[in-house]
Amino acid sequence: MNILGEINCFGLCLKVSELAPLVALLIVISIGLLAASFMIRMPKHRLLTFVSAQVAAFIAIISTFYLMKCEGMLTIYLYSGYAVISTAVIFGSLRFYDRLMIRRLNAKPIGNVIGWMQEFTGRLANATVYYYDSAVPKAFAAGKSIFVSLGLLELLNDDELKAVLAHEAWHIRNNGRTPFLKQLAIMTFSSPGRGELEKMADRFAEEIAGSEALTSARSKVDKVFI
Amino acid sequence: MVKLDQINISNDGLTKFFSPIEAAILRTLWVEGEMMTSELTEKTKIPLTSIAGTLDRLVKAGYTARRVDTVNGRVRYVYAPVHTEEEVASEITTKIMDSLVDTFGRVAIENFSKYSDKK
Repeated sequence: MNILGEINCFGLCLKVSELAPLVALLIVISIGLLAASFMIRMPKHRLLTFVSAQVAAFIAIISTFYLMKCEGMLTIYLYSGYAVISTAVIFGSLRFYDRLMIRRLNAKPIGNVIGWMQEFTGRLANATVYYYDSAVPKAFAAGKSIFVSLGLLELLNDDELKAVLAHEAWHIRNNGRTPFLKQLAIMTFSSPGRGELEKMADRFAEEIAGSEALTSARSKVDKVFI
Repeated sequence: MVKLDQINISNDGLTKFFSPIEAAILRTLWVEGEMMTSELTEKTKIPLTSIAGTLDRLVKAGYTARRVDTVNGRVRYVYAPVHTEEEVASEITTKIMDSLVDTFGRVAIENFSKYSDKK
């Protein structure tokens, strides 16, 4: 089937189907939720609304495909392939990502050098803190590991380091859920609510280490811990 | 830059061969010897966000060495130059002469001898 035929098929099948209004309703709901998410200020509720919009869009996509009666539609094959490959990449590779980073950065457990940092993090999340050789101040979380550069360790004081560790620990605590957000974003061709996740991690860091420590850490190394 | 694969004849001094930040770091280290990151940012007046990546590159390229110092439970880098200024000058001139001879052969060598006669 050529592309024009395929577009025709979409129009035709939706026209004859009784469920077409349902798809339209889902799209309207999705757009409504998306608009609402822009107006909500609280990061958690904003994220929930945004994800609901994505879920509605996803159901709309799936039900549209379900309504198609034509044979051998390329779009459906492509979307299924896209779903299978992205699921494998997201859920498969993320599990090994921290192992890969440890090897690539030649990272070493921080427990041997600065004991309190591992103890502090251990109380917040089931994570190992690693340090690696780079002057660029940076921290990030992957899998069950938190990575901090030596540049970050020499730049920040203990309170600021606690704020960074708490921020990363929040990511680790929620890492079980973030792949689903990423997958949902991929399936609906949209972005995962990254900004909201960062804000929620910052809220947690403020609770644990105090907002002063977080603010001064941010001012010293803006945008280097994510 | 740090690999000496680009030369800008119109630039001043060391920035013919290095980026301005690389040149500033190397010059400061040649004068001061060993330095901590905070001392380097102070002396060169280059903010950490600009200098940090360059320091990583200089270390990787072998122009700068660094060790990690642990004092009172705090870690910090201490930087030192790997080569003296003369050694780097010799490396640069050799590389450039090699590439000139490579490209122009006899003409380049004749000009070198004319040049040393003049001197």
